[in-house]
Formats: sequence, C-alpha cells, structure tokens
Amino acid sequence: MAEMKNEFHQPVVGRRAFVGGTLAASSLAFLAACGKKDAPAAGSADAAAEGVTLNFSINNPVCIDPYNVQEDQGTQVEFQLFDSLMKYDFKAEDLKPLACESFEASEDATKFTFHLIEGAKFHNGDPVTSADFKRGWTRLVSPKSAIQVDRGPSQIAYHLSQVKGYDELAAGDADDFAGLSCPDDLTFVVELSAAYADFPYVCSHPALAPVPAAADEDANAFYLAPIGNGAFMMKPGTKWEDGQYIDLVRFDDYYGDKAVVDGIHFGIQKDIETSYKEFQAGNFDVADVPTAQIDACKAEAGESKDGYTMSEGGRMLLGSEPSTYYLVCNTTVEPFNNADFRKGVSMAINREAICKSIFKGTRTPADGIVPPGMDGYREGAWEFAAYDVDKANEFLDKVAPMNGDSRGIEMVLSYNQDGGHKEIMESVIGDLARVGITVTSDTPEWSALLSKYDNMDFQIGRLGWVADYPIMDNFLYPLFHSDSLGGDNKSGYSNPEVDKLIEEARTIVDDTQRVAKMQEADAIIGADLPVIPLMFYTHTLVGSSRVKNLYIDPQKKAYLARAELTA
Amino acid sequence: MGKYILKRVLQFIPVFFGVTLILFALQNIVPGDPIKLIGGGGKAMTPEAELNLRIRYNLVQVDENGHAVLDENGDPMPVPLMDQYVTYITNLFQGDLGESYQRKMPVTEILANKYPYTIKLAACAIVLEAIMGIGAGIISAVKRYSFWDILVTLSTSVLVAVPAFWLGMLLQLIFGVWMKEWTGGAFSLPISGAGGAASQYQDWIHYILPSITLASVSTAYAARIMRSQLLDVMNQDYIRTAKAKGLSNRAIIWRHALKNALIPVVTYIGVDFGAMLAGAILTETVFNWPGVGYEIYRAITQRDWPIVMGGVTVVVVVVMVINLLVDISYAFLDPRIRYGAPKDKS
Repeated sequence: MAEMKNEFHQPVVGRRAFVGGTLAASSLAFLAACGKKDAPAAGSADAAAEGVTLNFSINNPVCIDPYNVQEDQGTQVEFQLFDSLMKYDFKAEDLKPLACESFEASEDATKFTFHLIEGAKFHNGDPVTSADFKRGWTRLVSPKSAIQVDRGPSQIAYHLSQVKGYDELAAGDADDFAGLSCPDDLTFVVELSAAYADFPYVCSHPALAPVPAAADEDANAFYLAPIGNGAFMMKPGTKWEDGQYIDLVRFDDYYGDKAVVDGIHFGIQKDIETSYKEFQAGNFDVADVPTAQIDACKAEAGESKDGYTMSEGGRMLLGSEPSTYYLVCNTTVEPFNNADFRKGVSMAINREAICKSIFKGTRTPADGIVPPGMDGYREGAWEFAAYDVDKANEFLDKVAPMNGDSRGIEMVLSYNQDGGHKEIMESVIGDLARVGITVTSDTPEWSALLSKYDNMDFQIGRLGWVADYPIMDNFLYPLFHSDSLGGDNKSGYSNPEVDKLIEEARTIVDDTQRVAKMQEADAIIGADLPVIPLMFYTHTLVGSSRVKNLYIDPQKKAYLARAELTA
Repeated sequence: MGKYILKRVLQFIPVFFGVTLILFALQNIVPGDPIKLIGGGGKAMTPEAELNLRIRYNLVQVDENGHAVLDENGDPMPVPLMDQYVTYITNLFQGDLGESYQRKMPVTEILANKYPYTIKLAACAIVLEAIMGIGAGIISAVKRYSFWDILVTLSTSVLVAVPAFWLGMLLQLIFGVWMKEWTGGAFSLPISGAGGAASQYQDWIHYILPSITLASVSTAYAARIMRSQLLDVMNQDYIRTAKAKGLSNRAIIWRHALKNALIPVVTYIGVDFGAMLAGAILTETVFNWPGVGYEIYRAITQRDWPIVMGGVTVVVVVVMVINLLVDISYAFLDPRIRYGAPKDKS
C-alpha cells in the first residue's frame, strides 16, 4: 500500500495550476457579475429604464383578473388596474364613490342606482359605461361567460349572491343578470333579492369592477394581461409571468389623479425570507418582514406613526388588519355545547403572551370577533374574550370541578400545523393545562381539516377570517347567521334572536342605526361565545429608504398611485 | 444494443401505468376535498360555484345539457373512479394533462413554463457536480493523505452535513446582500432566480448560486465515490501490470483506471440528474426559482391533483429516459459491458 501511495503521489494537476485555475475562474465570475445589464434601477429592465419604478414584493397571485380575484396578493395587483364603484376610506372611516359620482339607495335597501363618472376610459381607450360594469359582474357569476368556459368557475361569485337573478345565472339557466340594468351609459342599477343596506360596501370590493368588450373577445389574453380602468395599466407587450413578475406602467388617460410613479414592478416571491433578503439588498421598495426580523427591522426603518403610512419618519407598518384569528367551538357536541365551558376555555388563554412571545407584538390580542378599524368596533366588546384565570376557573367549576390538578375533561384541538399555527396552539394547550383541562392535538392537513369542519367532526379548531368588506355584517352574517350553517358558520351556532337582529340591520339604510343594530347582535354572540377570538392580524410591511410616502390600508391594498419615491 | 434499448423502452409501459394508477389511487385515498380548498382563505363557496367546479373537473356526472345528474337524495352523482382514470389516460395520450384546480391554467402550460428552468438549473448543477466531484475525487485519490486529500475529505464532510437550504441562504446573504453593501453596489450576485431584481444581471448569472447550492451535497458524494473507486481500481492487478510495463502515472490513470472507476460515479450522477429533473423543492424555494419542483410541492399541499398527476407523470418519463441513457453510457465507458448479448459460454 505504501508503495502504491508513493508511486501515485505525482501530481496530475499541479498545485500552482489548480490555484491559478481557481483564481481565473473566480475572476471571470466576478467580472461577469459586475457586467450587469444597463438597467439603471432595480425592477424590470425596460420599465425601470422608462422612469421611476416602485418594486413591490408579492407572492404568486391566484388571479389578477377581477372575475376571480380573491386573496390579498392578486387583489394588490388588480386593485392597481381596476376601479370599482366605491372605495372605503379607512382614514375618514367613510365609504366614498370611486368609479361613480354618486349613488342612491331605495328606502327598503333593495335597489341601488349608481351614476358613473363621465369620461372615464379603459386602458385600451374604450369608454367606461354601465354596460361594462354589467359585463364585469355577469362574467363573475355566469358559467357560460367566455372566461369561465376557458378558466373555470369563479370562486367569488358569492359577492353577488344578493343580486336578483343570481341563482338562475349561476346555475346556467339564464344568460342575463336580471338584477342589473343600464338605463343609459352612465347609470347602473342593481336590484337585490332581499334588503341589504350594506351593499354599497360590497361594491367597494376590487372584484366588482367593469371590464371592456375585449375581456370577452379574448378571455385568455385578458386573464393574463387585464385591461382595466385604474391608474395603472399592464406594461404594453407584457403579461403576468407566472411565478416571476408583473409589470405595470402609469395610465396617462386615467380619469382621476394620475399616478406619481412611472411604473410598478411586482416581483413574485415564494419565500418571505428570500423576499426580505432582496429588500435588504435594495431590490424591493416594499416587502413583508419575517417574524424573526421584526425587531431589527423596526429599529432600522422606524415604526410608522399611524401603522399604515410609510414616510421618512417611519417605514415599518404594524397597523391592524380587518382579520381575526380564532378558535371555533363545535356547539353541537360536548363539552362545547355548554357556554360556561366555552367561556372558561376562552378566559384561560393568555392572548397577550402569544402576541408578544410568538409574534413580537405584530398581532394584537382579540377582544371580540370584529377587529379595530371596522365601523362598529368596540374596545373590549366581548367580555369573555379577556384573560382572567380566576374567572376561567369559576366558569369551568360549574361544568367540572377541579379534582387535584385535573377536571377530568379531555378535549381535542384541531389545527393545521403549517403557517406557524403549531406554536400558537401549543401555547393555548399550555394555558388550558393550567386550569386542569387536558388537550389532545389533532393536526390534519388544511384540506382534511376543512372537511372535518364541514362534517362537524371536531370539538374545537383553529380558523381565521379576513373581511372582504369593512363592515360588521361581513363577520356576523357568514360566521353566525343560521343561513350560513354548512358554509362559513362552522360552529353550528344558531340563535333566532341573532338572525333577526342581523336581518333587521340589513334593511336599515342609515349607517349609524344599522351599525347599532349589528352591535346588538354582536353583543349576544359575544355572550354566547360560539367562537373564541385570539388575535387580530396586523401589517408586517416595510418600505425602503426610497419610499417618501406610501399608504397601505388595513385591507393591505396599497395606494401605489399616490406613492412617492426619492429619485 | 438496439434490442436492449427496445426491451428497456417496453419496460416503461408497466412502470408508467403503475405510477399513474398509484397516483390516481392516492389522490382518492388522501383525506381532504380539493374543491373545498379552491376558494382560498377557507371561505365557503356558494353551492352553485362548487357544483360548477365539480362539473368542470369531471368529478360529477352530467347529462347532455351539461347539468349535474342527481341521485335520489338530490346530490350530484360522482363519476366512477375507473372512468376518471380512463379519461385521464385518454387525455394524457392526447397531450392533455388537465387543468389546475387552483391556478386555472392547463397543466401542460404550467409545466411548459416551469420545466425549462428546472432542466437548465439541473444541467448547470450536474456539470458542476461532475467537474468538481470527479475532479476533487481524482485529486484526493491520487494525492492520498496529502493536504489536498484532507481538504477534499474535510470539505465533503462539511458539505454533506450542511442542509442545502441553509447553504443557499448563506450564499444569498454573502453574495447578494453583504457583497453589495461592502462594494457599494459594484459587485453582487442575484438573490432570486426570478421575481427579484432580475434585470440587473445577465441571465446566466442567476444560475451561479442556485447551481452551487443544488450541487453541493451531490458533489461531495460524487467526490467521495470517485476517491474510493479510484483507490480501489489502483490496487487491481492490471494496473500493477501497466505500471510494470512502464506506463506513466498519468497514462495509467487516464487510460486505464479512470474509465473503470467512473462507472459507479456516472451511475450516481445519472440518478442524481434524474432526481434534479424532478425538481429541487428547497433550492427552488430559497432562490425563488420558477421550476417544477416547488410547483408540484405546492400542488400536493393544496391537493391540486391535476398538477401532481401531470407533473409526476412527466417526471417519471424523464427519469426513465435518463436512467436508460445512463445505462447505455456504461457501454462506452467499459466495452466489456454488452447489453442483451448472449452469456459467455466459456
């Protein structure tokens, strides 16, 4: 062996040659890397070359065509491309016209007439008329529409389920949306099948936008490069590059105030960590911040004063979102069919600790199902959503007195482990153990968990709710009304008094009175506690030092047209 | 050789049907209703929308007017599983892999967009792996117990132990963030394969960090296999004979030892290439690479069965072809290997 070693010890590649080769290769890579393209700024090459481009990090959207825009990422892009009839101004806490000048509601809240803005144009130059709104809304519901034939049914048709003729259109039995009419080009009339005074708020949803005739002529092209009526348009010659980017440029014929920046580069990222590294490297102007980086980011960028506006004073946004993280109790089975037990469980959970230790203060303890920022939110609305171990024990003693360190109650907590839920649920389990409740985890995957909820095959489980519209109705009706059983009301809760109050509220056109009625319903639900609110979500967005001014509302819609960047 | 290739191609058939059948069975065994997941955010769809989706994806029976056929309870009647499978296979042979539940795009379109990225990244990584792995293995074996041998052994041990995603994140931080900061923006490498500041760099530069990350562990293994194989071959009698005949070391290694020692390495690299072509979920995630691996992973978590079925079917075919090519390559490395030839009667 020694002999072999000696004989074969002669170099095949000399040390000098090896080192030299390595250096040469490194230098080549270095030079090549330095040889960047000529684009003067980060972002898509040409858009960047054409002016000031804002680089915005998003996940791959589900859809950017209004017919099926649903989650916040797709909505972010679509919101820049399209204007709906209304918009909710969170700063003024008021619903305002956007693509219309004004609207009227009938006294019984079943008919709404919108007067459109004259002179508005689509990005292809077509005028925006009432027929375009009807087209946009119809294609969202009708399985016969060109887009649904090509791309399948919309999952968000429920926005329009209150409109007369919805059932026939959705079933494919009608071609026309009976509840929509266009007396003239600038008048759009909507008739509902039942009173719903909050309907103008529904009209603020970005999905309920107008679409030009081109949307039907080439549905596939429109799906990837929508033609809207918003302040930005798709960069000519580009489309949504799946998993890569979406480039927009300013629409100079926009009827409202023109965008300040020249373009937006939506960089599509899979992973929040990678996205944040791109931000750190100066390649994104707006990005989400990973939880582990929150403190460092807050210290470096400064916290925004109002939580929603990035400015030189503070570029990290931590404002509340209209979304609630909660535990849903199956009120049809023991022990959660007992309100005292539900209250005891709720009051045993230290929400503050979860928010601080796991989320570093980027979520706030929930004091009800309706989050801050919603018209009708009341601080401390749900008495039993507060942390109070003594009271928790009082309630639980009524159900099962403590025997030693246990109450002899075992319950199963269902949740999906992904998305960071495990840590939260472990904290909950620890809190419940301290009041003598033994909890077993049931951790199916999300789809299997949904099936369990649908089949009422659970005791208590985790869920979250993100409001589509900033109204109390959007929490109370889907989550607690009897009509929503089998749908989003997964607790099995049914209270005729609550149903009646919600239905009455829907008929009240006056905002203040309607909200007051909703608050009555909310108070009863809070006392019954079919769900246990845990936390309200907050923004965790940060802007680069280039961002002089950018407002991102509680629903995460960025007002990019008004964004200002340093040169 | 032709007979051998034909035989291997025929073996594809049962493998292909077996895989598709198992996948199809799995999608019906795994709990969870994919249609319920489509809504996004866990919000319930209207019954009409849900039924329309089931009709579109051939999950419920329809009459001649396209309306769902209902049973005595008024519930839509599901399409029998075997019918669904036959439809899938029939469509597959017509080049139709179905439509993604979540993405609402034809699976062929999604894979056609994603696969080139996976192939290009895999090719870069495999070239890197072959050059670095084989090179380091040779140096290590030839210079056994030298500084270079220790360096290779040590670095391969470290590379095997370091998780690819962690290495990727580290490289991103060093070359994407810190280098840019230290050099005032003069030098940096792209952090994301796509979706980031893509336009700043020449296209091929995007491959550097993901290739290194993807190839890291495999390169270490390849180097170790190469080293041990070469050392083993060097102890063979025919090498000793070659030396006795006065051949130079270089000639012995290149002409005689390497060819024989390479066979297990080529097998390993070939199999690894096949695995890379199936997508590299971690590397694709860390580097935001628009490849097929992450897409299939996402589809699995979201029960987007058309993508899972289509993606895996394509991957299976690709891997089978790669394996065949690897097997064929043996004959060129070692002429003694004769596929399909009659056994030596002596």
